[in-house]
This record gives sequence, structure tokens and C-alpha cells, in this order.
Amino acid sequence: MTSNPPVKADINLAQLLEAKSLERCPFPIPTGWYFVDYSENLKPGELRNVQLFDQEWVLFRTEGGKPGMTDPYCPHLGAHMGHGGKVCGEALRCPFHHWEYNTEGWCTSIPYGKVMPPITKKQAVLRALPMEERYGLIFAWYHPTCAEPTWQLPSIPALEDEGWTGSRRGSWTANTAIQEIAENGVDTAHLKFLHNAPGIPPVKAEFHDHIMDLDIGNGYIVGRAYGPGLNVLEFTQNGVSATMISYTQPITPELSQMNMCFRSKAYPEGSMEQAVAKKIIDHMIGAAEGEESAGFESVDFIVWNNKKYRPRPLLCDGDGPVLQFRKWFKQFYDADASTLAKV
Amino acid sequence: MASISVTTRDGAKLQIKASPAIPLMEFLRDGSAGVEGICGGELSCGTCHIYIDAGGESLPPRSEGEQAMLDAIADFVEVRPTSRLSCQVFVDESTPDMQVTVGPVA
Repeated sequence: MTSNPPVKADINLAQLLEAKSLERCPFPIPTGWYFVDYSENLKPGELRNVQLFDQEWVLFRTEGGKPGMTDPYCPHLGAHMGHGGKVCGEALRCPFHHWEYNTEGWCTSIPYGKVMPPITKKQAVLRALPMEERYGLIFAWYHPTCAEPTWQLPSIPALEDEGWTGSRRGSWTANTAIQEIAENGVDTAHLKFLHNAPGIPPVKAEFHDHIMDLDIGNGYIVGRAYGPGLNVLEFTQNGVSATMISYTQPITPELSQMNMCFRSKAYPEGSMEQAVAKKIIDHMIGAAEGEESAGFESVDFIVWNNKKYRPRPLLCDGDGPVLQFRKWFKQFYDADASTLAKV
Repeated sequence: MASISVTTRDGAKLQIKASPAIPLMEFLRDGSAGVEGICGGELSCGTCHIYIDAGGESLPPRSEGEQAMLDAIADFVEVRPTSRLSCQVFVDESTPDMQVTVGPVA
């Protein structure tokens, strides 16, 4: 069948021209709990600079063991405390005049001042992020204007309970924003076409408060997202389950560090269950023997690293709940109206 | 320009000229009246403390921040009902003849 080309007046030009104004990552850094580092990588008294949430921070652990993460620049005269500063007892000490700050950012000592500036008695004067340490991971709560946490980290039996095992971890860099990475969780059609899965699995997504529950493939993958920075996904095959715990970090608006660890029940050494659990984990990441489809490592990055974000995507009836996901995710952005309009 | 009569810590008398929109602290500091004004008006040092001996009636009351700073220096020096931080005091031609005494060092 042939048809005449439509006359120009019939064309929706906005559809054709929108790509010119698209951005790769129009998103602010979303609010939430984020992985900072593994507990064993930060010893008491240690201090270093880290790049996260689109800026540099000073990460330290007090002699007593509390982790702290603050703006680098001393409120006094602006010295970078991650260059020459040190941990003194429970405080971070600036190298310039030895002003000291605790892990909440309160000034605890000015060694040569007689009168403490009144604001130091009223509030923190150095921006410090709320910190939590659980499951061997250090987390920081990020909010663009320093609001307190609105939810707590969940319990994760695969990391906290007896009878679980697995030391496998991974870390991958993606040149995109955290929302774009997470969106693949509800985009089930891409599993068939990008990952070469045998079909498009059915997906059930439920959203409540900061939590998103996903069931992909009628129980094959059952996952829960706790805000933008923590996901727990259980994969089940032949009655054997393995768990992926994923904790992606927003480094800049266009750069994310994906971190994961993989756990399973402590099945007997040499058992069929143990072999299946290992295969499930291999398959989560990349290729696995006997599986035709590919894990994220080999196929997702080429898309993430080059795509642009379409705020008004052209979806079809076979697509997953992408827009519901975006509506849920929007709660993590605290930004002005013009920024929110782009996400 | 308003003219302020100043008594320094050692009892010397000075006349300081002050113009509107600039805190009195700057004229006292730059006029060698013995006021330091270290923090520049951020209410964090208390080094521009003065007593207003006369002519303070038209000044607005202390802000919360000024009060907090005066409370903080009260552990070291005498704070009186006439105490002000001169970084918070603005005078103009309509201000009646003002007489101030520079506060003691904390």
C-alpha cells in the first residue's frame, strides 16, 4: 500500500524537533540514603576526600568509630579540611587554626577564642550529612537543602541474618543519572530486545511512599527499592534464590557508580542448590552457561552511556509502567518548578 | 553626617563622624576608638561592644542575634541595659546627639 506524503501543515513538528532540545540528564541529585563506602575501608582516625552528590566531601571516622562526612571547607576561613586536616578524638580538626567539628557539623573547639560565636551553640556550622552504618556498609543521607531523613534504612535479611553467604561484590561506572539506571527495572520490554530474554516478562509494580515493589516474570525477580539509592532484588530459579543488593551512588548529575553485592542462602558445599545460586548470580551480571539472555554488564551500558532523556516518551501498549515509575521517582527531587518540568 | 561623642577605654574623649547606611562600628574602628569589629557585623565576635550613654532612644531594639552575642560576652564583661553591638547601630542626621563609651575587652 502506498500513500501520499502528508502536506507539511499536517506534521507535528514538535515531535520531530524535540530531540534538539533534549538533555542527557536534566535531573537534580535525588534525596535519599546512599552508599558511601564499605565499613572495612574506613578505619578509626582515617580521613579522605570523596566525590559524591556533585561535590567533594571529607569522609572520616572518629577514634570512637563514628563515621562523618562534611563539606570540605572550614566555616572559619575556608581551608580544605581534607588536605591537612585530621581526626582528633571524636572531631575533625582543621589544619589552618585547629577549629574542630563533630560528625554532626557542630563546632566543638576554637582553641584560641574566648567567646564562642553564638551560632555555634545554636546549630551546626559545617554541613555534615546524617550517617548510618549497617550491613557492613556506610550510608549518608543526601538532601539538597539539608532536611533530615524521612525514612530509615530497612533490615536486609540477606546481609544481616544467619545462614546467608556470599562475598561477591561488583562496581560499575555508568555515564548517566541514577533515575535512568533505575528506570530499566520497569522497562520490561528491553529485557527481550536488549538482553535477548525469551519473551517480555509480565511486571507488577507497586509504589508506596519511598518504596517501589517489583515482581518481574511472576516471581522470577522480586525486588524492592528503598528510595533512589538502595535496591534488594531476589532472583528465583528452580526453587533456588539468590539476592542482589544494589546501592548506586550519584557522583555528578551525569555520572553514577553502581555498586552491588550478591548473596544466597548458605547451601551445602557442592550441592545442586549452591551451583544454581552461583549461576543465578553469574546471570544477573553478565553471561551464564545455559542462558541465552545477558545480564546488565554486557548490554545496558551502551544505552545508558549514550541516550538522552525524553520527558515525553513515545510509549506503546506493550511497554512497562515507565511513567508510573517516573511519577514515583519525582518525589525524590527537591527543586524549582522549571527543573521539575524537565524530569 | 552625624557627630558622635565617644569615650574610649582609657577615658579619652573623641568626636566621630558617622554617615547613614554604614554601621557605627566601622567609624569607631576606623577612627581609632579602640573598637575592633573583627567579624564585620556577622554577630560572631562581640568586639564592637559599646554602652550608649545618651541619644539611644530612637534605635531599634536588639535583634535575637545581637542579644545572643551580648549574652555570650556577658561571661567576661559587664553587659548593661545600654549595651549595644555597634555593628548593629546606624545613625543619621536625625539621630540626636549620641554619646557612647567603648566596652571593655573580653
